[in-house]
Amino acid sequence: MKNKELLKEELKRYADVILKEPFPYWFGAILLGILNVCLLAVSGEPWRITTHFAHWGAWVARAFGARPEFWAFYDEQDNAAALAGGFLRDGGSVQNLGIIAGALLAALLASQFRFKKIKNYKQVIGAVIGGFLMGYGARLAFGCNIGALFSGISSMSLHGWIFMAAMSAGAYLGSRLLIKFFLY
Amino acid sequence: MKEFTLTRKKSQLPYAMVLLLILVLFGIYLSRVGKILAVRWIFGIAFGFVLQRSRFCFTAAVRDPVLTGNTSLFRAVLIATTVAMVGFSYIQFAAHLSGCPVPGMIKPAGVHTLLGGIIFGIGAVLSGGCASGTLMRVGEGHLVNMIALVFFIAGSAAGAYHFGWFKENIIKFARPVFLPDILGWGAAFFGQLAFLLILYWLALWWDYNSRAE
Repeated sequence: MKNKELLKEELKRYADVILKEPFPYWFGAILLGILNVCLLAVSGEPWRITTHFAHWGAWVARAFGARPEFWAFYDEQDNAAALAGGFLRDGGSVQNLGIIAGALLAALLASQFRFKKIKNYKQVIGAVIGGFLMGYGARLAFGCNIGALFSGISSMSLHGWIFMAAMSAGAYLGSRLLIKFFLY
Repeated sequence: MKEFTLTRKKSQLPYAMVLLLILVLFGIYLSRVGKILAVRWIFGIAFGFVLQRSRFCFTAAVRDPVLTGNTSLFRAVLIATTVAMVGFSYIQFAAHLSGCPVPGMIKPAGVHTLLGGIIFGIGAVLSGGCASGTLMRVGEGHLVNMIALVFFIAGSAAGAYHFGWFKENIIKFARPVFLPDILGWGAAFFGQLAFLLILYWLALWWDYNSRAE
């Protein structure tokens, strides 16, 4: 009887470590690194996110009458194929949706999900401008913090290193802007 | 909001189980469309899970060292990159030996990378999340990041729309630079590994010094 209780407590402790308490950063980092390697081995392509955001935007634009198939971005074969195939045939789009689903699952398993409302209008302005800038910048640089920085450097490509330096500089400029215009 | 923290948190495990069922069913549906889609679905869920559990944030990783002197996330990014690089280079070298095209994210490097990276960095700090962070926080229920995601997508489409102009005027002059092509495989691999280690050590030293102040 007592052994059973002890075992139950022990199991709960393990479950808390896996599902409730945050992983240390270094542990998450190792897992992300291993996942990225596995993804490359299985799909032939490293982790990337924002290319598929462009497809999402192009599909919406197409619904409003635009012709994204004539944009220079869709001269590239992979992009053109993804555009023609649609959301449910694009592995990267499905994977991006999976990231949202995975984070939601993790939050629910830890009982940490909370619908967080907006605190003030400045936050909205930051999200609108910041979101747009990220999308635009990522197209210009051939990737985001994942495709260019994480996967680019890991692929031993020079553009990954340039992106890391540039993103750090941008983050510094962004912090100055934030302090000047958004905090007060 | 204060009342929320005072009341004891309810278990959300039942919701988690329902969601898990939905995720599995959607995965089965995807596997009928194409096996690789179901695999990518699982990878996405795994990435999202790890990002949420470890509170991983690339934005804070490059913002905090200068802003607060804290480099723990930056060092984590270096660890993730080192682990991935070792695996990637094995796959790349095997492809190289068998005469196949070398896989990986190898894109033109030039002024556009610098410009795009700076714009991206500014945006990430203003919106409070990078690409992975925005998706992860949407899953956690942050309304602000949902707004950011909508405009992230709009900005991506605008970037893709203007891509032709940048290609003709800026990107044209840049070439993809795969380090083993110019340095040789050994020098590129061990050189980059050494550089990552030096960066790690510098970050550690930076962190220590800013704490001492």
